[in-house]
Amino acid sequence: MQSTDVVVIGGGVIGCSVAYQLAKKGVSVTLIEENDIASGTSGACDKAVLLQSKNPGLHLKMALEGVKLFPDLRKELDMDIEYKNDGGMIVIYTEEQWKVMEQFVQRQNKLGLEVQLLDRDRARERQPAFSKDIIGSTYSPMDGEVNPIYLTLGFFRGAKKYGAKAILGTKVKDIKLEKGRVHSVITGSGNILTRHVVNACGVYAPFIGTMVGLDIPIIPRRGQIIVTEPVASLIHGDVNCARYITAKFRPELLGNDEASRLGIGLSLGQTKNGNILIGGTREFVGYHKHTTHRALRAVLKHATNLVPALKDISIIRSFAGLRPYTPDGLPILGKVRQIEGFYMAAGHEGDGIALSAITGKLLCDVITDNKMTIDIDMNKLSLERFEEEDIDGFRKSHNCYGDAV
Amino acid sequence: MKTTDIAVIGAGPAGLSCAVEAAKSGARVTVLDENLKPGGQLFKQIHKFFGSREHRAGIRGFRIGQQLLEATERLDVQVLLDAAVYGIYEDRLIAYITDGRDHTIKAKKIVLATGASENALAFPGCTLPGVMGAGAAQTMINVNRVLPGKKIIMVGSGNVGLIVSYQLMQAGADVVALIEAAPKIGGYGVHAGKIRRAGVPIYTSTTIKEVLGEEKVEGVITASLDEKWQHIEDTEKRFEADTVCLAVGLSPLTELAWMAGCEFTFIPPLGGHVPIHDRNMESTLTGVYIAGDITGVEEASSAMEEGRLAGVACAESLGYYNEKQALALKNEIWDRLDALRTGPFGEGRFTAKLKQLEARRQLA
Repeated sequence: MQSTDVVVIGGGVIGCSVAYQLAKKGVSVTLIEENDIASGTSGACDKAVLLQSKNPGLHLKMALEGVKLFPDLRKELDMDIEYKNDGGMIVIYTEEQWKVMEQFVQRQNKLGLEVQLLDRDRARERQPAFSKDIIGSTYSPMDGEVNPIYLTLGFFRGAKKYGAKAILGTKVKDIKLEKGRVHSVITGSGNILTRHVVNACGVYAPFIGTMVGLDIPIIPRRGQIIVTEPVASLIHGDVNCARYITAKFRPELLGNDEASRLGIGLSLGQTKNGNILIGGTREFVGYHKHTTHRALRAVLKHATNLVPALKDISIIRSFAGLRPYTPDGLPILGKVRQIEGFYMAAGHEGDGIALSAITGKLLCDVITDNKMTIDIDMNKLSLERFEEEDIDGFRKSHNCYGDAV
Repeated sequence: MKTTDIAVIGAGPAGLSCAVEAAKSGARVTVLDENLKPGGQLFKQIHKFFGSREHRAGIRGFRIGQQLLEATERLDVQVLLDAAVYGIYEDRLIAYITDGRDHTIKAKKIVLATGASENALAFPGCTLPGVMGAGAAQTMINVNRVLPGKKIIMVGSGNVGLIVSYQLMQAGADVVALIEAAPKIGGYGVHAGKIRRAGVPIYTSTTIKEVLGEEKVEGVITASLDEKWQHIEDTEKRFEADTVCLAVGLSPLTELAWMAGCEFTFIPPLGGHVPIHDRNMESTLTGVYIAGDITGVEEASSAMEEGRLAGVACAESLGYYNEKQALALKNEIWDRLDALRTGPFGEGRFTAKLKQLEARRQLA
């Protein structure tokens, strides 16, 4: 039987980042992935590394610590991850939103996020493509961008360079315990003896959890994204609308029109190649990954209102990804009390790319029993925080067993 | 919201034949095509078709196109042109762009008759202006009446390469040479004989090594191939030419079938990945049918028969034909399809199509 110190299950950005950090420390790691690297959520998202969208608190703190790691990663990884630090804006359309954002910005400033409010003219100076109908925007120079697929591949190749093994196209069938601790992983192509398993399966993490008797409250939240043909520079940095923030944290405030039911909050960004990525939706539709006409229409209506020039640019593609959503919007990270040697690294919803680097570091510290190199209270991220939660009720109320559309 | 009984995507030979056959039963039929004119590739086919009388042998392709269009008018088929279908969504909702605006139509049955696209070939200089698909050159001369160039190298000796070479000469171009990577000519002897008699040299076991030119094609260097398809040294020949036409096969245009969620199988002789279908041309999605080159690249006659078959099957499933009526019609079409897939050229396609049906049986 093969043996390894740590088995990481899941070849998305989180699993690859964890494998990378461990391998770099000299730990023997085997990464198992059912399909291919970045074939799920990490390959079906946009490219923003947003700080402004994080809830002021632990969430923002993690993101702030996390983005500090990106400039170094760019040097460390043998791959151009297209990391840029062009800042980000949240567009404000109404006086009401302005007031909400004013408070939001104050709280963010207190936690060390540089962000300010711009009036309409100053916002349009930064983004001449914006329509005149806006009231203003926020601006943070700290928001960045990265190519999520290259980032995932960069972590993966880096892990392999430091000796990690990868088993792709292979399904984990079972995890065997012995006396309450991890003993081995049963896969479609042989068994692996190991004392540590990291569950980095994103929206599929609950299925791995079931193998060891854990009920993990992660459910899929669909995000649809539209891709345009490549055009000359039009959108600078990350652009989101205030509805995006509201859709993320307080969807009940959005009202009950179609855009709100689909959880539409506009996000715009332009890739290095010139393609504009237009997002997105936040829908609870179970594990259905197809795009819908009504959502694309609604998203494009918002996008062309903000950037009228988009009307003359062709769409070449659309896709949807499933974001791993948890009851409190925070990921589930670290040790699991009931099972020695079993670790969680999943549930980042739409923040997996921004939080990938710090997740890898944190997990590496926990697994190698190091002193924590980053000051984050892991208890607040543990699976145990949901002990009192009605997890099945959570799934049912969020349509996890989902009807399509 | 616009609705219809049967929406046919693609107004080529398969799509129009399907529309006519379905409309004969009384069904409401809407055909959508992204082009400004219907007919697909039929209107550039100025040559006579082969086969038996039932397959309209001896009739030129564009005449068949005209007959089909007249039939659609007579039968009140709605033909939406400049309608680029970009998606098939939930509950058979078809989304398309006309006049730069978004439209939708909901259909009880959908027939995908999207055809095929020409394959490209990579070699140094392949992006120079003057390198084009043979089908594109054919459209230029036969539809737009524009000569793509004066001195032409044709790559590929299948029927497309042979026929288009002859038509380019008829249009006034000089076909300098026809080259073929395989050791044998791929198309019908009668077509090859025609261009040989006109003095066009055909080089088999030969490929393009490089196309020369700064801003456009100025010359072509060819090289001979051994039995393992590798270049043989010192066999280079240089030709003066201003145009290179590529007739190196077609690939089914399957994007909409992928997007709709049809299951596929891989059959190289049919052009690669093709949607799985049953004897009625229904894909693995209920109510979504396929016909013509999207099901595997053949030729216009079998595309038309497959279109008719899908048309009858749709009409039957909507209750416009009873089982007996439909079976009688389908039996005739199946017989004609079998007849088209015989002989030295048809046999391979016959076996390939059997594999496609076998894939369906295995799923069931």
